[in-house]
Amino acid sequence: MTVRKTPLLLSALALGLVAQPLLAQDQEPLTFYGVKSLSGAFASYGKYAEMGSRLAVEEARTSLGRDIDYVSLDTEGNAGRAIRKVQEAINQDGARLFNGATLSSTALAVGKEVAGVEGVFMTPAGADELTGTECNASTFRWSVPTYGAIRETLVPLMEALPEAKRFYTITPEYVFGEALLDNAKAVFEEAGVEHVGNSYHSLQEQEFSGYLTNAMAASPDVLVLLNFGAQSSNALRQARNFGLNDQMDILMVWSAGLDQFEELGAANVEGIYFGAQYWHEVDTPFNNELVAAVRDAYDITPTYPLAADYTMTRVMLEVADQSGASTGPALIEALEGYTYQGPTGEETIRASDHQVIKDYYLLQGKAQDEMDDDDDYADVISAGQSFVAPEDSPCQL
Amino acid sequence: MLNVYLFQVLNGLGLGMIYFLISVGLTLIFGLLNFVNFAHGAFFLVGSYLCYTLVSLTGNFWLALVAGPLLVALLAWALERSLIQRIYHLPHTFQILVTLGIALIIQELSIMIWGPVGKSIPTPEALQGVVRIGNFAYPYYRLFLIGFSALVAVVLWLLLERTRFGALVRAGSESTEMVSLLGSNIFRLFSVTFALGVGLAGLAGVLSAPLRGAHPFIGPEVLGLAFVVVVIGGMGSFSGALVAGLIVGVVQSLMTSLWPQGASLMIYAAMAVVILLRPHGLFGRA
Repeated sequence: MTVRKTPLLLSALALGLVAQPLLAQDQEPLTFYGVKSLSGAFASYGKYAEMGSRLAVEEARTSLGRDIDYVSLDTEGNAGRAIRKVQEAINQDGARLFNGATLSSTALAVGKEVAGVEGVFMTPAGADELTGTECNASTFRWSVPTYGAIRETLVPLMEALPEAKRFYTITPEYVFGEALLDNAKAVFEEAGVEHVGNSYHSLQEQEFSGYLTNAMAASPDVLVLLNFGAQSSNALRQARNFGLNDQMDILMVWSAGLDQFEELGAANVEGIYFGAQYWHEVDTPFNNELVAAVRDAYDITPTYPLAADYTMTRVMLEVADQSGASTGPALIEALEGYTYQGPTGEETIRASDHQVIKDYYLLQGKAQDEMDDDDDYADVISAGQSFVAPEDSPCQL
Repeated sequence: MLNVYLFQVLNGLGLGMIYFLISVGLTLIFGLLNFVNFAHGAFFLVGSYLCYTLVSLTGNFWLALVAGPLLVALLAWALERSLIQRIYHLPHTFQILVTLGIALIIQELSIMIWGPVGKSIPTPEALQGVVRIGNFAYPYYRLFLIGFSALVAVVLWLLLERTRFGALVRAGSESTEMVSLLGSNIFRLFSVTFALGVGLAGLAGVLSAPLRGAHPFIGPEVLGLAFVVVVIGGMGSFSGALVAGLIVGVVQSLMTSLWPQGASLMIYAAMAVVILLRPHGLFGRA
């Protein structure tokens, strides 16, 4: 019996050794849900975000040797519809791993839904509440919130323009605009410069001539645009049309980066200061790889939404693979405090509020004849990190 | 401070002329054909994108100003002959459904052709720069728009009130049978009128492009604004569109100094007041 057992045991052992990697490959497929605005008014953002996530998933299938399913949920630029689709995915398919959501309202609602089932959700949305008063254990945020966006644009701009003492703001009247304005006022006060006026506008506004007239009347040194997307593009276009760029410097605190510059064209971008979450020309190993991969895969240069969703997807998949936890509290724990090389350099997911600590950029638009290539719209004036200290953050996880 | 209000009134008058241009095609089609065109904003969108394409290809804005509206009018003529003509006799709800469908198709086609990201169109070189008045500046291009819109208003008035074509169209809007019995081809007349109204939307799109760029989702915003102007002025009233456009422009511009966050809201408040006082609009007929 002993003689007969030995080869059997050896065979079983050998079979086990051979089968181990195969079993590893046969792990339960990881299903990843991209919450993207693929149609509706924010489709221009969602299109690139989707490209970023798909590219990261495609790469991870090869690099991690793992079966990964990717499912897109089209928010249609509408928080209500996004929530219904996320609920369906959770209840019918057992979905637990999400990222995306362009709009803050969508991201806040999705974050709450995902927290209800102890899933994981990572978003690039801008509202301070995501890692502030409305933070929860399941929600992680990649983008720099309003506090950092204001500090990393206004402070270096004041250093670059020491003679600028009068600032005028144009602000969309809702929670995001108010947060930017409050932070801007704090910086003006600290720097001892004068905030000579502010014009609020509604979220539907596309005609800015009246607000620009108010700004002209106040004779500021710097016009600060605190709106974003199509509104900031129209405000800037019309400001140039009124010749405001000849009378004052203009700063757009929250730009979308490359795709917005393409929309505006070099003539509108030249000489204007922009705040940006991502810039493709930043020289970091991760970013250089990303630019090459995106050019190879899509024949374009990565934009902010593409880079943001690529990075978030890649980080979530890497951590899930390294920790062996595909979702739930174990994955949340693995993500907390995780440091990685991201597109802006070293990035860390802060454990106290799930905010990614990363650089925010101040760019300045170039003249068309100074552009080295079609996408070389701007120079990086400064890069830096400003975040509310954990002890001052309203987030209690 | 008084200077600001004065300048806001001037700016509002300029804005009002742009709003007149945006809405006059809509009111013409409703007034003369009794047809509700919910695709008006979409045709404006096509005008803006054609301006972008033509300026990108030729670098000549003036060519775009001539060719853009003509191409939009041609598209409208083809649509009218193939589809719209069949639904003139149907209730307005059916017309809204069909034109809303056309608007959605145009919007999605625009995304397919020009992409989801908006486009900028440079101000023509001859009209770059501003007129300075004290602390204030007013762009040459906006001054040109005011003058051009006024010219369009005069030409349209002459066309409708002083030509045989205008007389026939006005008669046709009262009684199609009578005009047909007099030997005029009423269907051709309606086709031309529809193409003219839509061509004006295209013209507004071309002229607005250097101010607001071209964006696939601009249509609904323009449609909403055009309806506000048309409702205030009176559905179908040519002079109503002009006066209402100026009222909306001045109200919006003044409110950006008095109560900036309510500037857009006040446009609709002005509409509500007019409807309460004159349910058929300032120049509308009962």
